[in-house]
Amino acid sequence: MTRYGMLINTKKCIGCFACRTACQRQNGLLPDEDFIRYEEHVNGSYPNVRIETVPLQCMHCADAPCANVCPTGATHISPDGIVLVDHGRCIGCKYCMAACPYQVRAFNEKEGIADKCRFCTVSASEGGTKMCTCVEACITGARVFGDLDDPDSEVSRQIKELNAQPIKGDLTDVSVFYVR
Amino acid sequence: MAERNISRRGFIAAGAGVAALAAGAGAIGFGEWNEAIAEGVEKGEIKAVHSLCNSCSSKCGFTAYVKDGQLVTMIGDANHPYCDGTLCARGYAYASIAWSEDRLTEPLKKNDKGEFEAISWDQAYAEIAEKVQSIIGSDGPQALAMIQDPRPSGSYYTKRFMNALGSANVYTHGVACNMSKNSGMTQALGAADFTTDVENANMVIFLGRSYCDGIRPSSVHALQKAHERGCRIVMVDPRCNASTLFADEWLPINPGTDLALILAMAHVLVEEGKYDKEYVANYTVGFEDWAARLAEYTPEWAEGKTGISASTIKRLAAQMWEAAPKASIEQGWRAAYGCAYQNSGETARALCLFNTLLGCWGVEGGAYFPASASAGKLEDPKFAAPAAPKEKILGQAEYPLSAGGMGVSTYALSQIPEGKVKGVFFYQSNCVAGYSNPAKLAEFVQAAELSVAIDVQMTETCQACQYVLPDTSYLERLEVPEFVGGKVPVVSLRDQVIEKIHPETRPVDQIFTELAQACGVGEYFQFTVEELADAQLRTVGLSLQALRDAGGTVAFPEKALKFAPKTSWGTSDKKVHFTSEACANAGFPASPGWLEPQVMPMGTEFRLIGGKQAIHTHTQTANNEGLMAITEQYGLDRVWINDAKAAELGIADGDEVELTAPAIGFTARTRAHATPRINPTAIYLPSHYGCSVKEQKTAYGVGLRQMDFVPFHIEPGYGGTMSQETVVTVKKVGA
Repeated sequence: MTRYGMLINTKKCIGCFACRTACQRQNGLLPDEDFIRYEEHVNGSYPNVRIETVPLQCMHCADAPCANVCPTGATHISPDGIVLVDHGRCIGCKYCMAACPYQVRAFNEKEGIADKCRFCTVSASEGGTKMCTCVEACITGARVFGDLDDPDSEVSRQIKELNAQPIKGDLTDVSVFYVR
Repeated sequence: MAERNISRRGFIAAGAGVAALAAGAGAIGFGEWNEAIAEGVEKGEIKAVHSLCNSCSSKCGFTAYVKDGQLVTMIGDANHPYCDGTLCARGYAYASIAWSEDRLTEPLKKNDKGEFEAISWDQAYAEIAEKVQSIIGSDGPQALAMIQDPRPSGSYYTKRFMNALGSANVYTHGVACNMSKNSGMTQALGAADFTTDVENANMVIFLGRSYCDGIRPSSVHALQKAHERGCRIVMVDPRCNASTLFADEWLPINPGTDLALILAMAHVLVEEGKYDKEYVANYTVGFEDWAARLAEYTPEWAEGKTGISASTIKRLAAQMWEAAPKASIEQGWRAAYGCAYQNSGETARALCLFNTLLGCWGVEGGAYFPASASAGKLEDPKFAAPAAPKEKILGQAEYPLSAGGMGVSTYALSQIPEGKVKGVFFYQSNCVAGYSNPAKLAEFVQAAELSVAIDVQMTETCQACQYVLPDTSYLERLEVPEFVGGKVPVVSLRDQVIEKIHPETRPVDQIFTELAQACGVGEYFQFTVEELADAQLRTVGLSLQALRDAGGTVAFPEKALKFAPKTSWGTSDKKVHFTSEACANAGFPASPGWLEPQVMPMGTEFRLIGGKQAIHTHTQTANNEGLMAITEQYGLDRVWINDAKAAELGIADGDEVELTAPAIGFTARTRAHATPRINPTAIYLPSHYGCSVKEQKTAYGVGLRQMDFVPFHIEPGYGGTMSQETVVTVKKVGA
């Protein structure tokens, strides 16, 4: 089986927002529609300060709370572990937004749809050219994408090597892992 | 297989079918154009076109993919020296400028009531030309000035147009950017714009510059590589900037005192005899003078100025010497001494001399001058340049150390009320909002007999002018090729990605060609931009088609940089100048010494500093909906104040505060961000906000404009705008 996942290395994240705007361009999102949101942590006190930026997006949970509460089945999980939204079935009730423990569903005001990260890196290519998703756009290579079920994949290897962890412990069964 | 969601793309559209429609139908409106897009261009074909980003001055090369009338994606060139395979946040978002609802769509003229009215291009050209000829007739061509911040076509056409009229007055945005830095460096080295070989260095000190805030992706890559390789990186900046992620230490210097730090580190090296004596003996002049002057600048003295401890300064000097020659102070850009203080030019000069002590020039891991390539001479007489103007650029005599290639634009504008300058053109330059005090600059421009702004959207500068001409966006035109220096130089093409959206907009080459014809100097513009681009490329063994076929960026590996100690300089005697006669003549010491900033914060005052955020470029990107959404969501328009200092003043994070610049009596309100990320003597106001143009519906009214707090003044000798020579008081609103 294939189960797609991602590693995000905050030790490399400069908080530049390139992943957000590349995602918006790639996925045709509205200017304020953010599949990626950011938390900035400032540790220490002047002048001994360290900053950390944590980009957050859909964790593609195997037990996705947003899918569980969706009354129409619009939010569903694909066989390869990607949590998807069928736009045609979404009624914009926002239950999913309330249910998501990571607060990463994004409401498209124009369409009335509670959208989210699509793990578009899987499929984003046109005529053989790999398109520019958050993974390709990251200036510092903070993101690694691949098959979590393949122990030899780059993402699996790095998760193991760098001891990447879910952002909030075992709150849900996530597919996105963090190095902090 | 993964399912693929059907994306509902927003209002981002372009397409060849529509172009045909627009071209055939003449003046269709924006609504019709949009409808035509919506009506289905379901052809499914992908068009890949190479262009240059226009969201900042780097002009990174990228390929735009257009499908079904939409800009599907943008991919940065792997072989472009500036983007190195990745674009930044601005690049992806700023492309929407082409479809902005706030575009200028027709030529405008200000009426007697001060309101803009649409006029025809013919009327605009005829009236502008009449005034140009009248001014030349009465006062000569030097009474005209051009201020421009474009590239690559704009640089070519604006200069050619002005020179054809006989005027030398072609200015860039330099005074508000890197004028002081480049001018100071030129006094020391005979050249500016060296590059620290960060990725191969053993130690680098950054003074105010943050690669991760003012992003050029290749610079970020180099910094990250250096960090991961174990290079010692020291970030000297009043703010804990985003680049500190890759730094070993952050030293929050008191703003305006970088010169004191450099002088004290040089003092240590010279006193201890730790400098490249052979290099200094063979390739420099004037060392003894500087060595003697340095005696008084002890680390203890510098501690009192900079706030950095004497022991830290001694340690930094020792570490730099230990790491030399693979060590240097990075050149900086606008940040701390590009145009900030009355000591900025001297700071840049001292920086070059400090690096000279390290023997780092031309050495791998040290600092080098990028390899370059350029178009050769064009044989066809139709491309022959107009005769060089007889006079020097206005302001050169008054600011003798200023880089003539940039010019002191603010001085030129100040000469409008004096009657010395009577006509002024702006191309892609929002000078009024950013180059110095906006109220003063607007007053100057409004006093001109002729004022013309060419831009894509209404700006503060446009508002001050009599005529506003609508430019095409950068995605809608072919330009002359851009030659870019680097370790391997390249030539890169801005090709036309989408067809023109608004029929009454015109590209820069067309505007200046037609304007030149109207002004009677059309003989210098007897060619199309295609012909010019092709002719330039043929001088380097390419052609327009060959560059297109190659994907838009072609490297010149035969011209690649070869590391070797630099032994010949661009100065009169080809040596590094520890002393400068020109500086001495301009009232500075022959070799650089301490020069206090013009104003220092006293009592309850703070120095007001500016600086870039990764998502914006000056005031140019503030009207972009995607980028401004980030600003608003994360409160990026707030002013930073040290958290402990804020607590003393009863200010909490997010509170509304009032800032006052007592020197000019300017007061305004905004929200505060209380953070440990800033030196307690400074307040940081991001340089992107405070747009006062209602037509910029997204930018209008968000945040404050830094330059409103800065008096109109010019750095003596060097010509910089002294953007941080101002202090403010702050109080909580309602307290």
